[in-house]
Amino acid sequence: MNNLWGDRAWLAAVTIGVIAMSALPFVANDYLVGTGLTLLMWLALTQSWCVLSKMTGYVSLGHVVFYGLGAYLMVVTWQQLPFVVVILAAGVLAALFAALVGLPVLRVRGPYFVILTFGLAELVKFSIMAAESASGTASRILFGTPDLVVVYFSMFALALLATGLLTWVSRSRFGHGLRSLRENEEAAETLGVPVVRFKLIAFVLSAAIPGMVGAVMALRSTYFVVGGVFDPMISITVIAMAILGGGDNAKGPVLGVVFLFLIQELLWANAPLLYMIILGAILITFVLLLPNGLVGLAGARTRRREARAVEARP
Amino acid sequence: MPVFDVLSSGQLLFAALVTGSLYALVALGLNLVYGTMRMLNVAHGDLVMLGAYAGYWAFSIAGISPLVAAPAVAGLGALLGYALYKGLFRRLLAVAPADAGRMEGNSLLLFFGLSIILQNAAAMLFTPNNRAYQYLDEVWRVGNVAMTGNRIAALVVAGATCIGVALFLGRSMAGLAMRSVIERREAAYIVGVDVDRVQWSSFALGFASAALAGVLMSMLEQFSPFSGFPFTIAGFIVIILGGLGNVMAGLVAALLLGVIETYGVALTSANLRSVLLYGCFVGALLLFPNGLLARRSTRK
Repeated sequence: MNNLWGDRAWLAAVTIGVIAMSALPFVANDYLVGTGLTLLMWLALTQSWCVLSKMTGYVSLGHVVFYGLGAYLMVVTWQQLPFVVVILAAGVLAALFAALVGLPVLRVRGPYFVILTFGLAELVKFSIMAAESASGTASRILFGTPDLVVVYFSMFALALLATGLLTWVSRSRFGHGLRSLRENEEAAETLGVPVVRFKLIAFVLSAAIPGMVGAVMALRSTYFVVGGVFDPMISITVIAMAILGGGDNAKGPVLGVVFLFLIQELLWANAPLLYMIILGAILITFVLLLPNGLVGLAGARTRRREARAVEARP
Repeated sequence: MPVFDVLSSGQLLFAALVTGSLYALVALGLNLVYGTMRMLNVAHGDLVMLGAYAGYWAFSIAGISPLVAAPAVAGLGALLGYALYKGLFRRLLAVAPADAGRMEGNSLLLFFGLSIILQNAAAMLFTPNNRAYQYLDEVWRVGNVAMTGNRIAALVVAGATCIGVALFLGRSMAGLAMRSVIERREAAYIVGVDVDRVQWSSFALGFASAALAGVLMSMLEQFSPFSGFPFTIAGFIVIILGGLGNVMAGLVAALLLGVIETYGVALTSANLRSVLLYGCFVGALLLFPNGLLARRSTRK
């Protein structure tokens, strides 16, 4: 699988991608730069999501909560602190939140974890909404946000960071520990993998970057409503991108993000409902055609195919 | 009005009963599908939404009373459930038992995709606007409690359906077969229960009860293509608290949730309704981390 050719092609693709994306703000108009920014945003979010959900099998349907918290922090502290400080603080806030809820939440497994994360994100969204409406703020506008190019390169750094993080995790001893607990948590624990600690670290790692991404995107959109930055659609899109890509290293998400991003660009602005329908159809198609697509690990797939062949013999 | 008067008036209790009985009916269908197949149907609330539209169209176009239309809508729901089971979900169930955990995760994403499609297709076809109609809205007074006819009707129909299904599960042969699959799937198979038939009938019954709940809901409040999901969440809370396959305990849990929601909103503000609902949901899952199996596993 991970043969030399595959690695070389991947390295070449990354190099070309990095060069092209670095050159973009100097050659393209604002519209294209904004489009590139959105692409980088999805990349950063999806790669971070994979650190938890692809590696451990704990599928988070609530990653937007970290994004929303980061954006909210940026909006609340706007013009009181330098934005660079706030971006970093947003990462810390998201990581802290993950660390705080992580232990009880990660005790919940399988599909319950999926709906729990969704419920938790909605709970935070509605709580902040209630707090905002109690204080009489319906929406906020940020004035004097930094130049688009600055925002773009901040996001670029985050996308690179997330890709680097997932690459490192997927190759590290820590990552192998995560994979082992994904395949069988009890067995991994028996063999000495510190399951609880590893899960928590993965959760915190995968939360930090989305927090920063949210803070950066608040600078980009300048107009803030709670429902917008905590939109569950963001979590769903991230999952669809990751599932589309498959695999549990940094390569899959890149493919999935680029592919779904193209569909999104075509449809989101003009036909948001149709876009959501297509998103749903993609989820169903991939789950049915690649029943183990969430795991996607080629090795596990062949092993399971063998298992099924054994099962088929009555 | 002083707080005590609000709390002690029968008015709130009646509202809580109506909400609770609807939640019980919604949870009933979720319970059957999850119990017999271990599939978390997150699209369940969207079936409630479709049922609400069916009741709305029947009333506003054809002038058919929702109470008359309800059985037909429930029948349509049953047909949809049957078709979806045979078309989509039977394939998914045909996996090795070792993959059961993954199957649960996958079925969740499948239902989730279905949910997104249903919501947005409904928004495209029916517009995303809120809809409502007036039916049986004359006020009845019992003591100092004012009740509208449609709320009484919803309470009676939902309550009677739940009790009917509880009797069916407890007394009839088919119901016992269904319960045996919920409790011990393999054992039921060995003693000769037709598991496939139990599964499609649970799907059909589950979808029918969701559609029925939708018709009842449409008589009471306004709804939109995105009104379904809170019902899914409420249904989950009820089965987490009430346990699998236990309709009567579910009824109690649903009434409790109705009480928490109604009294909570009355004491605070309507803005906090969603906070309360999702708060209960997160709390219930954290309390029972094994989710819906929490109660069953203790008996092993």
